[in-house]
Amino acid sequence: MNEFVQTIKQTFKEVDLVLGWVRSPAAGVAVPACFHTPAQADDAVFDSTCMHNLVVHLPRLAGKKVGIVAKGCDARSIAQLVAEHAVDRSRVIVIGVHCPGMIDVKKAWRCFGFGKRISDAGGRVAMEGKTVAREEVLLQKCRGCRDWEPVICDVTAGGATKAATAPPAEPAGIRKRFAAMSPAERRQFWQDQFSRCIRCYACREACPLCFCRDQCAMQARDPGWATAAIDASQSWMAQLIRISHMAGRCSGCEECERACPVGIPLMLLLEEQNAVIEELFGYRAGAGPEVKPPLLTFNIKDDAWGES
Amino acid sequence: MRFIAEENIPRLLGRLAANAAVWAPQVVKDTVNTVLFAPWRAGGEIETGAYSALSAKELVLPATERLFSYRYRRAGEGERIGIKGCAPQERVVIFGMRACDAKALAVLDALFLSRSAGSYNDPYYQGRRSGLTVITLACTSCDSACFCSSFEKGAAETAGSDLIFYPVSGGYLAGPVSEKGKELAAVDLFQDSSQEKPGLAKTAKVELVGIQQRLLERFDDIDFWRLATEVCLSCGYCSYACPACHCFNIFDETDGDRAGGRYRCWDACMFYAYTLESSGHNPRPEAAHRYRNRLAHKFSYFPLNRGEILCTGCGRCIRGCPAGLDFRDVIRAVSAG
Repeated sequence: MNEFVQTIKQTFKEVDLVLGWVRSPAAGVAVPACFHTPAQADDAVFDSTCMHNLVVHLPRLAGKKVGIVAKGCDARSIAQLVAEHAVDRSRVIVIGVHCPGMIDVKKAWRCFGFGKRISDAGGRVAMEGKTVAREEVLLQKCRGCRDWEPVICDVTAGGATKAATAPPAEPAGIRKRFAAMSPAERRQFWQDQFSRCIRCYACREACPLCFCRDQCAMQARDPGWATAAIDASQSWMAQLIRISHMAGRCSGCEECERACPVGIPLMLLLEEQNAVIEELFGYRAGAGPEVKPPLLTFNIKDDAWGES
Repeated sequence: MRFIAEENIPRLLGRLAANAAVWAPQVVKDTVNTVLFAPWRAGGEIETGAYSALSAKELVLPATERLFSYRYRRAGEGERIGIKGCAPQERVVIFGMRACDAKALAVLDALFLSRSAGSYNDPYYQGRRSGLTVITLACTSCDSACFCSSFEKGAAETAGSDLIFYPVSGGYLAGPVSEKGKELAAVDLFQDSSQEKPGLAKTAKVELVGIQQRLLERFDDIDFWRLATEVCLSCGYCSYACPACHCFNIFDETDGDRAGGRYRCWDACMFYAYTLESSGHNPRPEAAHRYRNRLAHKFSYFPLNRGEILCTGCGRCIRGCPAGLDFRDVIRAVSAG
């Protein structure tokens, strides 16, 4: 039995369930799974298609002792939730894995067809007979990754050896054009982008830090900050509400953009906001479980906050 | 059968565009191959290979649709409140729908165009549907998310289409299904052909025998639903991408204090607010309750009420699920044990 599966199995002494990945028979890539018994964990996998941030499930599993397999970037989300007292540290066992850099599977499939097998070996990724350098098919966030070592971790379960991280990509395509746009051009750009939004809220549901969930202001009728109308200006307004609530909280896991079915580049907004926060406060969300987030520095003892 | 050469397709669409809006699947600008149905303009490139992220159901059930407008009038203008209804009359030709999406239109017709005595006919849906001409592109290949072969006719389904294009060397064989389709295929861009139709795609199958009853039996076993759907994030993508899901909400919006309108817009049973009652009680508080409803509506309640399964196997809910949850696995779990 491999060391990774063995490590997961051992955590069952302390937890009710473990969040990890299994291989999907139809798709051939890793998909999220919950293991409730050590035997189920025999199917656990970790490879460069484990792109999902499983931390999104932690707040939903309130009251349960949970083991969670976490890449470096996922660990940042856990650290932020713990720092915000949104997740009780004592009920979580973090099984840290060293990430090789994740392949943008959805984009690859949009080019080659859903479920086409992906081979990732020797720094090259092959699909349908075409081979490209890994950097070209990595998720945006994996370029210039600063989080290979999980910031919060109880046991380590192997993973990739530390290799030179792919350098940050030079802004290309849409990112390059966006950077050069005037405010008026940006306005038009977002108007076009949000004309595709269908208000499915996959962005919100995939985000590990969105905590209002069922009471979300994007969807509330009262007060009606944005109407339910599925049109560009309302959808844009709704999204800006969500994004401004992410100030100092978004660790850049990119799940909102990955989840978006119509390809709206939400990270352009979040990256800009995250850069401003880092410049002003020297803070990146998820810096550590004990770090006080600068935008949440009220006296926590005065408020009976904690996981409910 | 009629035949149309590949190079005549833009000519055909160009001619149709004189009297109707023409829609076709196209890659969205600035995205990596995100395909959506959108208005086509001469010279626009049509993407017939990749699968669209959303169905084209917005052509008959727009994401947001105004039902009527109202306006308070000044003294002396007659009635104190003026109300103006909306009656959609647009003519649209859609090119490149798949048989699964077209079949879904036929399923929606069963609900929105109830012609039997006493049943309700939706005038907004009817207005759009009667102005719609569907040119379907038959599938000769499929991907691993497709599962239309689970249903009676699979890729050979003709319901909902007006004209079906079968890809052959150099162009398409065209098989009319309706009068509209016959008229279309009669124009001079087509010629008669005795060519054989190509073999159509055979997709993965999901066993559906007994599912209608099994879902009712499983209803109260909420622990089963919790386990089967535990990675579900409860977003609305599957519902909104689905060609057969059709739930909507109705709301009023004011435009200043003297005018406004009533709208309906898509809603989805995967949302918490969908069943939230004014008392604060919610009969479907968890994703498990909501997923159960979505599946049972498709394979049990709707077939019982309307005689049609509310799923045509297009596979969008599988391809695009942000949680990687395979709808078919849940169906299999319901059937098993």
